[in-house]
Amino acid sequence: MSFLIKGGEIAGEEGAPVRGDVLVEDGVIKAVGQNLEAPEGVREVDADGKIVAPAMFDAHVHFREPGQEHKEDIAHGTEAAINGGVTGVVMMPNTSPVIDSGAAVGTVLDKARQVSRIPVYTSGCITKGRIGEELAGIDGMRNLGVVMLTDDGDPVANPAVLKNAMEYATSFGMFFASHCEVPELSGPRALNEGKVSYQLGIKGSPACSEEICMDRDIRLAYATGAHVHIQHVSSAIGMKTVRWWKERGAKVTAEVAPHHLIFNEEDIGEYDTYYKMNPPLRTLEDNAALLEGLKEGVFDLIATDHAPHGEFEKGQDFVSAPNGITGLETALVSLHDRFIAAGEFGWDLIVKRYSAEPRRLMGLDPVAVEEGKPAELIVFDPTGETTFSRDFMRSKSVNTPFLDQTLKGRVDLVVRGREVLLER
Amino acid sequence: MAVVLDENAIGEAVATLVEQIRATAQRSRVAIVGIRSRGDEVAERICAALEEAKIEHDYGMLDISLYRDDLSHLAENPKLQSSEIIFQMDGAEIVLVDDVLFTGRTIRAALDAVTDYGRPARIQLAVLIDRGHREIPIQPDYVGVKLETARMDHVIVRLKKTDGEDAVELVTTP
Amino acid sequence: MARKDFLDIASLSREEVDLLLDQATPFKELFTRSVKKVPALKGKSVLMLFYEPSTRTLSSFEVAAKRLSADVIDLDVPHSSVTKGETVKDTVDTLQAMRADYIVVRHKMAGLPRAIARQTKASVINAGDGAHAHPTQALLDAFTLKEAFPDLSGRKILIAGDILHSRVARSTSRLFLKLGVEVGFLGPGSLVPRTGPEGITRFTDFDEALRWGPDAVYLLRVQMERQEVQYFPSVHEYHRVYGVTQERFERIRGEGIYIMHPGPVNRGVELCHEVMDYERSLINQQVENGIAARMAVLYWLKPQTDSEEVNRE
Repeated sequence: MSFLIKGGEIAGEEGAPVRGDVLVEDGVIKAVGQNLEAPEGVREVDADGKIVAPAMFDAHVHFREPGQEHKEDIAHGTEAAINGGVTGVVMMPNTSPVIDSGAAVGTVLDKARQVSRIPVYTSGCITKGRIGEELAGIDGMRNLGVVMLTDDGDPVANPAVLKNAMEYATSFGMFFASHCEVPELSGPRALNEGKVSYQLGIKGSPACSEEICMDRDIRLAYATGAHVHIQHVSSAIGMKTVRWWKERGAKVTAEVAPHHLIFNEEDIGEYDTYYKMNPPLRTLEDNAALLEGLKEGVFDLIATDHAPHGEFEKGQDFVSAPNGITGLETALVSLHDRFIAAGEFGWDLIVKRYSAEPRRLMGLDPVAVEEGKPAELIVFDPTGETTFSRDFMRSKSVNTPFLDQTLKGRVDLVVRGREVLLER
Repeated sequence: MAVVLDENAIGEAVATLVEQIRATAQRSRVAIVGIRSRGDEVAERICAALEEAKIEHDYGMLDISLYRDDLSHLAENPKLQSSEIIFQMDGAEIVLVDDVLFTGRTIRAALDAVTDYGRPARIQLAVLIDRGHREIPIQPDYVGVKLETARMDHVIVRLKKTDGEDAVELVTTP
Repeated sequence: MARKDFLDIASLSREEVDLLLDQATPFKELFTRSVKKVPALKGKSVLMLFYEPSTRTLSSFEVAAKRLSADVIDLDVPHSSVTKGETVKDTVDTLQAMRADYIVVRHKMAGLPRAIARQTKASVINAGDGAHAHPTQALLDAFTLKEAFPDLSGRKILIAGDILHSRVARSTSRLFLKLGVEVGFLGPGSLVPRTGPEGITRFTDFDEALRWGPDAVYLLRVQMERQEVQYFPSVHEYHRVYGVTQERFERIRGEGIYIMHPGPVNRGVELCHEVMDYERSLINQQVENGIAARMAVLYWLKPQTDSEEVNRE
């Protein structure tokens, strides 16, 4: 599989994209330079005006397999990833049954090998059944390559359990990903406590619930020498909490999701469940602080928390409807539409935070558009448009606020090794 | 569009009505009940004349919007106004007053409304203008003036208190 | 007014509010007749979908509908929490099949009436959804206060009690603000949200609130049972600090302040017994006006006809 990508703007972790040609031969980047010529029989891909970037990696997705395959499964989830320019994912273990043992890990990884065109990684539960009491089968999971432990969907309510887990698993080189909230403060987990929750007459979850738990988990990590990765940070003080602890040398990393950067509680309007997720959308001030944190490097990576749900389920009343929106297909285009096109940040940030750092978090080498590296890249057209219609999306679920909207930017080509995974 | 009855003609029509009703009102106490809108203004003029003649009577106003059966013909419901029936309906001698008698449906609704207040001894009908084209068997007891009209014509009545002037226009449709 | 549903006060324009307040009067006039019925809604069906128990609101709507000659059907749904399996869509499909013209919904899930309204051609009236809204209550409250003060603008009303959990507080305060009435909230700090609406004065001291000079005090029902975690220590303490005690009642009576309450009343908690015999208590008028206000709403709403597509706005 060989081709010459001509005239694209090549993006990397540092600096602005640089115009150049990329020659891919047999799944390896043979050459990167100016005015390259295509060898005999090698087709040219015109990338004039387009971005050539390392392919993305999403460290937080829910594929609902096993147990809720009506919402999503590994096959559809990975195709959705490719559709969004993503060539690697980390699944969350809150499936049904949960992924809390070697056997469960083995099952999903086997399935992934059969149906997925991209590598799939999985995290494992911290506690058995995700109940928060007994420890999960950590060694069994570790032997199958699991490095991230999380009870995502819920916090570990009992700090003593979390502390022991940290002491135990850190010696295996595993790290912890935290979904942060204090259950007693969260109410029905429907929306942020504030102006909108008052108007809509639903008990809101205050930001301090998430922040208290964040602080707790980071302190426990600090005390035990563990590495804790804070998931889906949604508030300004949350961002500042991570920054404060980083300044003091704690082993903490953190992620932010595109929806917390883009939307706020006012978007819920009249009980629109397509803006309902946990942690919830908060205020404009939080949007601004999260963006600041992303630009500053407080957030190590961007992760979507891709959370598919059926239309039927999301069609319920606001409190009953399940939390979550999809993100794999919309992340890159929406980040381009809202931030890169608006000049808020550049492709270097995207490459670093949505391609390189997520891979590093998982102990993988980042991919890059450099000579000698395996070809794992995308071509993105900033002048193109993407309409997120039902036909366009590969995910089984369409619960995204971007449904039927047209945004600026389009993923035109996704290559991994010898395979062209997507070409538009 | 043409003015078929000017202020004088309307004055004459009212006088005609009053002349007819006087006889009845002198024999026994009547309750003059005007049908909103404009029927109430006609009723007021009748009452003024009866007062001048020192003939005792009762007066009331009826809003029959809640009884209309032709709501589907209206894009918007007409705004409701209150009815005012402060005399005893049971055993009363009612004279219903309206400005124009056409198909008779308004009067049918008014009869329903009146009987929901009680059981009058008798109900009579006085209209300023009878333009014909009845669709139900309703006939007036007292008529101010008869007007020749085609079914699809529009009769527009304007009265001083409600509209600022006295005039009746006839709009013919081609 | 060409509106299909009556879901909350927020979506009403000032013109619509003025119209409905004006139009409640002719309906109230009917109550003095021997035959209180009119045929305006003859042949129309009104479905009562009350998932939360309520005798007064349910019967008020039933009387209103029947006085308009509509057929009333009470679906008598179970008062226990809705089973997870039954979704809005399933309920609504059933109702559509019954071809109801009006559906009156009361439910503890905020936002449910709106979800139903989007999926049905019937006119949906919100009779109270969770802590969100109770628009017909707000209407009758405004109508009642207008009887005492025909010119409402510039008046002051103090709403006292459990604001946090109260849909009445939300709808009624919003409507009064729309009409130019100044609104104050009074209650325990834990029950009067700081992130409340703009333009409302917040009090946590009754005497300070009375010094503000309200023309009417609107008392909300306060319950201990509703609380999963306590918001105040006891009903005795509540009455002493936030209730209309005998002492406060003397002051209120002396200043001629009106008292309102959506009912049912908790004697000894929100108010002392004496208040129930107060000349300036508008509580009974509120009940009577509730029927008139609900008749006005039923009369003015326009369900979609069969030929129109369901308007998924």
